Amino acid sequence: MLWLALHLPQLSLEAFCATLPPQRRARPVALVAAHRISAVNEPAAACGIQPGARRATALALAADLLLGQADPERDARALLAVAHAALAFTPSVTLQGPAIGSAGADTVLLEVQSSLRCFGGTRALLRRLRAALTPLDHRLQIASAPTALGAALLARSSLPARDRHAGSLAQLHERLGSLPVWLLGPAREHAQTLQDMGLQLLADLQALPRDGLARRFGEALLAELDRAWGHRPDVRAWLALPESFSSRLELHSRADTTEQVLHGAEVLLARLVAWAQARQARVAAFTLRMHHEPRHRHEGPASTELTIELAEPGTDAAHLQLLLRERLARCALAAPTLELELSCDRLRAGAPPHAELFPSRQGEAEGLARLLERLRARLGDEQVQWLHARADHRPEHATQLAGTPPRRAATPPKPGPAAPHAARLAAPGAARARAAEPLPLPRPLWLLTEPLPLPEREALPLLDGQALHLLAGPERVETGWWDGAPAARDYFIAQAADGSLVWVYRQRLPGSCAREPSWMLQGRFA
Amino acid sequence: MPAASPGPAGPSPGLEDLHPALWRAHQLGRPHENTCASGFAALDAELPGGGWPHRALTELMLPHAGVGEFRLLAPALAALQRAQRPVLLFDPPALPCAWSCQALGLDLQQLMLVRSRPVRAGLHPAGRPDRLRERLPAADLLWTLEQTLASGHAGAVLAWLPATLGGEALRRLQLAAQAHDGPAFVLRDVAARHRPSVATLRLMLAPQPPDGLVMRLLKRKGPPLAHPLQLALAPVLSAAARRRAATRPGLAASRATTA
Repeated sequence: MLWLALHLPQLSLEAFCATLPPQRRARPVALVAAHRISAVNEPAAACGIQPGARRATALALAADLLLGQADPERDARALLAVAHAALAFTPSVTLQGPAIGSAGADTVLLEVQSSLRCFGGTRALLRRLRAALTPLDHRLQIASAPTALGAALLARSSLPARDRHAGSLAQLHERLGSLPVWLLGPAREHAQTLQDMGLQLLADLQALPRDGLARRFGEALLAELDRAWGHRPDVRAWLALPESFSSRLELHSRADTTEQVLHGAEVLLARLVAWAQARQARVAAFTLRMHHEPRHRHEGPASTELTIELAEPGTDAAHLQLLLRERLARCALAAPTLELELSCDRLRAGAPPHAELFPSRQGEAEGLARLLERLRARLGDEQVQWLHARADHRPEHATQLAGTPPRRAATPPKPGPAAPHAARLAAPGAARARAAEPLPLPRPLWLLTEPLPLPEREALPLLDGQALHLLAGPERVETGWWDGAPAARDYFIAQAADGSLVWVYRQRLPGSCAREPSWMLQGRFA
Repeated sequence: MPAASPGPAGPSPGLEDLHPALWRAHQLGRPHENTCASGFAALDAELPGGGWPHRALTELMLPHAGVGEFRLLAPALAALQRAQRPVLLFDPPALPCAWSCQALGLDLQQLMLVRSRPVRAGLHPAGRPDRLRERLPAADLLWTLEQTLASGHAGAVLAWLPATLGGEALRRLQLAAQAHDGPAFVLRDVAARHRPSVATLRLMLAPQPPDGLVMRLLKRKGPPLAHPLQLALAPVLSAAARRRAATRPGLAASRATTA
């Protein structure tokens, strides 16, 4: 068995500082639990504030000290993300607090013996583990040992980083022996007694007669000592990965702008990616819910929800962030935001496609999909579209727009509405040689969404005050009586005064008389 | 001195061989970037590098949409699509007809329409530049274009830009286009021809009856082209209709007065 222990010495402080702007993080910050300082950052420690000090003392030492309330739930959410990141490397992950069974866990334990071959040894595994934990932005103390508790104790110790790794039981015993007794949970309540007896190190405890030790300090201390040494089995409950992801983050100050929201969402996105990687899957869609300030609630919605769907599922935090940034830039905040919640229950299982060293067709297509996704995130889904050709004689029905590309026809597309016209314009026999010579263009490229009524003089349509010169036609379109949009028109190709070609038609509806405008401009040849 | 400099014997013959970016004022520039053939031999002969330039903006100025600009560009676009490179249209002035695109040899699967604002404001019935659209800020359109050009994943880009666009916006686009290995066409109203532009190639298009296109090269890497180019596009009209167009009385009279 090889256990890795990830100890987060500054967990609660980092969980609190995650939503602070960077310049505030560089100034003194301290957390308060039960009116006593529980954690301080480096600038605060430089002012002389120490954990355990009174609140008033701390404020006297540093006037610009930012005091935050310690929140075990907030710490637990942050630690869970670290555990999720660890689950990508082994299924056996468990949490460990300062004492067994106590709340406020700050260490993640991984059993990695069976993963070593897959990742290519301890050193490579550690390197990848560190890389996976970098986005979560925590200070880490990593230790490895043959027993779970031994690894946890080494990780919590103040040994130099290279001495925290014990490869064999003998080496572990040697390292553990030099650790102070108060690191053991049950020893903490007897700390004073132990010190009075001159027992400073774990080796001193180990040297004492076992029955006397059990009688004086209880069975628990002996049991924990034995577990650390590997003399007694250590049964752990493994952490199970939830089916769907949901994480909340309370913002330190209310966010009025989307930029501030985005700053908080970065933390949540890093957690989402850790969870998705533990599930060996890629994110297909995620939802960001912004909970608004209560006093604005009677005016607007209590929360705003943004759902972002990815064209190509991925676990690239930078790309997810980019999409979220564009969506947030388009959305107006109804009210200041106090809390963010990120959830995801749509994953695409399976390994991601391989990355390529040299540009290839696959990489190009993926790059284009990402580009279109980015454009959609900013402009809206309905602003990026493909043309679909439909076999209909009415031009307004023959071209359709849709958000998905048309399917490639296995056979060459049928000529559709163009056929009769083309056959009439082209010389006989041209239909057979169609592939070889260019077809005349019977349909204009630019179609007006709504036909423009044209004035009329001497039975000829006018465009810009000049008479159009009808050159080809009529092409009669009489269709659509079955679907409620009947069209009975005679189409002409006409030349405008400046020489450009336009497509006009004359209404032939039986009920209409000549009084209403009968000439309409349908499109322009480009 | 043994290493004497080459004497002052007139202009050295290898001056333009020194660097591919050098050319003499009477010569056409030789862009060291790729170009793609336009499909019109007469036009290719006048374009530096023998085709539409890659990694640079090409500006086309039209009196209104629908003078034959798409038939001019279609051969190059279709060739790019055959090489599996997509064509993106940004803010087209009207809805392109799918059947017409197919008849021009374009593949609808690789033809994407991107509109920077909702449809209503974008389409003007008569094909003339929409006054309202010209006034609205084009920030979304410029951002979209810049992202597309800088990503380098598009094959060809066609963008319809307002004529009032400032020079610095075009400069940004030109910088972004350096990452784009394909032609980038910017289509604007002819009102833009007096505005400064960083586009390496500027063309002015006008319809040429019957069923043709006349083109002026306003700017290229090389001497300005004095005479306009007349191009025969893929025909819309049948032979009979062409004859009818040529015998138009009103047009002949107006020509006689201008001549």
